[in-house]
Amino acid sequence: MRSLTYQGVPLWRHHRVIQWASQFVSGILVVGLVAWFFINIASAIEDRNIPFGFSFLSREYLTPIGQHFLPYESSDSYLYALFVGFSNTVLVSIIGGILATILGVVVGVGRLSSNWLVAKITLAYIEFFRNVPLLVQLFFWFYIMLSLPALSESYILWESVYINNRGISAPAPAVANGGAALLWLLLAAASVAAGWLVQRTLTRMQTDSDRLTHPALFGFIAALALIIVSWFIAGVAMGGPPLSVSFPAPQGNFGQIAGGITAPTGLTALLIGLVMYTASFIAEIVRAGIQSVNKGQIEAARALGLHYFSALRHVTFPQAMRVIIPLMISQYLNLAKNSSLAGAIGYADLTNVAKTMTQTAPAISIFVLIMLGYLAISLTYSLVGNLYNAYVGRTARG
Amino acid sequence: MAVNPAVSSQPPAPPPGGGSLGPPKSEVGALGWLRANLFNSRFNGALTIVVGILIALSVWYGGRWVVTSADWSVLVALGGQMAIGQYNSSDACPDRNCFWRPQASLLLVTALLGMAWAVAGNGIVKRVAIICAAVAASFALLPYSFDRMGLDVRLLLAANIPALFAGYALARYTPLGKPGRIVLLGVIVFMVTLVLLRGLPGVPGLQPVSVINWGGFMLNLLLAVAGIVFSLPIGVALALGRRSNLPVVKGLCVGFIELFRGVPLITLLFMSQVLVPLAFPTDFPQNSLFRASIIIILFSAAYMAENVRGGLQALPRGQVEAARALGLPGWQTTAFIELPQAIRNVIPAIAGQFIALFKDTTLVYIIGMQDFVERSRSFIKGNPEYLDNAAELFIFLALVFWAFTFGMSYLSQRYEIHLGVGQR
Repeated sequence: MRSLTYQGVPLWRHHRVIQWASQFVSGILVVGLVAWFFINIASAIEDRNIPFGFSFLSREYLTPIGQHFLPYESSDSYLYALFVGFSNTVLVSIIGGILATILGVVVGVGRLSSNWLVAKITLAYIEFFRNVPLLVQLFFWFYIMLSLPALSESYILWESVYINNRGISAPAPAVANGGAALLWLLLAAASVAAGWLVQRTLTRMQTDSDRLTHPALFGFIAALALIIVSWFIAGVAMGGPPLSVSFPAPQGNFGQIAGGITAPTGLTALLIGLVMYTASFIAEIVRAGIQSVNKGQIEAARALGLHYFSALRHVTFPQAMRVIIPLMISQYLNLAKNSSLAGAIGYADLTNVAKTMTQTAPAISIFVLIMLGYLAISLTYSLVGNLYNAYVGRTARG
Repeated sequence: MAVNPAVSSQPPAPPPGGGSLGPPKSEVGALGWLRANLFNSRFNGALTIVVGILIALSVWYGGRWVVTSADWSVLVALGGQMAIGQYNSSDACPDRNCFWRPQASLLLVTALLGMAWAVAGNGIVKRVAIICAAVAASFALLPYSFDRMGLDVRLLLAANIPALFAGYALARYTPLGKPGRIVLLGVIVFMVTLVLLRGLPGVPGLQPVSVINWGGFMLNLLLAVAGIVFSLPIGVALALGRRSNLPVVKGLCVGFIELFRGVPLITLLFMSQVLVPLAFPTDFPQNSLFRASIIIILFSAAYMAENVRGGLQALPRGQVEAARALGLPGWQTTAFIELPQAIRNVIPAIAGQFIALFKDTTLVYIIGMQDFVERSRSFIKGNPEYLDNAAELFIFLALVFWAFTFGMSYLSQRYEIHLGVGQR
């Protein structure tokens, strides 16, 4: 018979002891490994005279950067060159994110269509573009762009859009009169606010009086009309229209194209590839989000007399959004990270600029800076996601 | 998109006069199908017509391009380099007699598939095994002239069919036909493949081939297999570590996962080339392929950990509580109760991660390895006469990758059905 006096667990089998000992050992192991790496790196730096530190950042970079939308000269510093690469990554992330969202939502809704042809076509789109490596897709679009005719033989659409193997040039708005443009922008913002007020008022009238007042439609018309009126006000007040349209124009025997806005080959191929690829993932998210809403919800809405599209807009989408948005944010983040493939097709994103930089600057320091750059992007996205979650949490059903 | 018209729940009234009437003609047959699926509302009818015209146009122009102006000779020119890259080039293998080595390891894999077929029975495994062997063998019939693809190469390719049946017979009639032993054999085959490809100094016919010359689709498959095999266990360990209530372990795991998830793989690969050689002593044996596979495994493991963690979090608490109440110690609860259910619930996510890993193996171009994609691109770059046919080449690449990734997602769906996910 066992003794009734409890002696306690022996020390080496006490779970606290085991836990803390194992933590201590694993911690020591990891710290030791990392320390060993650092010692090796430090001795390598010393033995092989590898440069180290961040003093290079203020030196002149003296290397051209392929494509940049921020002004850049070879005499600018390393830090600024990295920032130019970072801005290129951000540019692609934002434009690509917007376009991929539009395409992805269209495809995702089409996937649920009761129209057999649309459902099958969107399914084929998703299954193909999702399953082929992005790099293959990028090369495909890049070589398609390169096989376009040379600048002097550009395809010209409507005498204003030039398509050639250097990129696509299209008309773009340009500021014609700085003061007028500023005034117009301010008035336009006020117009949007006014349109929103109209929509609010009409909505209240509708709920109070049971009369159909079409708040969204009239609010939109009011805002649009005020924006157009303020264009003329700004023009008359400042003596000239705020914006003009700049058309791309071939210069000197088609040597280059000036004016308008030009999307260079690398950027265009990168955007097409990234958008087609990411949209196939977003489409699946949208489909899953809509399907996650209980069927009874939309049936109840229809039974209450809402039109199908109204039910979709006011009942299905708000609920689907809770599922969709967090997944969507991780897709935007993937898009930003995938844009690091840009180097393969000659677009100077952060990774590509940094890669070139490692030939003349310490790689370790550059790696730290790259990580900071991508960390900034991912933290921004998570911040937006958390804000949205907090907002949804606040307005959640009671 | 409009919903299907609501189905009436009342039973149909008996037809007047006692005779039985069939459903109206417009509701059955091809016409009924068209009405129900393509023209069930005015909006859908218009949509069908517009989409139909767009499809017809793209099929017409695409088909015309494929038949008349596309020039597929670039595929012939690239030939076996798509499969093995520069492995058999005069740089890598001075006598240019190394082609048989990847082929021999392919035969081993086929035999292994045959063994898996014998053990698994007439299921999906059988189909996969037969398709793989048949596709491999069919390459022997390519209409190449003998100076481009010799008889030895053709015979070794055709030998995939006998190898399949040899494997089948081996598993059927010898004690090797147990799942555990086949897994062990799989590990051995992987090792043998590595040794075969790397070569042994001093052994005739096995002269060493530098790993930088391993390439083509072979490289993608090797990296994918290594990544898939190692990233799941590491990912599971990381997921458990992240859920642990030991602050040091948890902190290390969270730090590792967030570090690898926060940076693009391509950046990590590139930096592995620059930084990792410095982090080891100069006499430490390492090479670019080894570094690349380690980075791919760790990167994939970080994502895998998040998938597994999702599965663990979705598990009802009652499972753990019941196991503990039955007296199972902590590690057994985790190993036999939590993990099997958690992993089963996230099979689609894990399969998606495997597919992503397979696609990501194309990124090794950044460290100068000539995988399938990079070999094709540098071929185009080195032979500008094919510049106009790059689209054909990359369409072919896309189809090959698609066939593999689609096969993987199909297998995962079948496996899910087999395990009865969502049925219990």
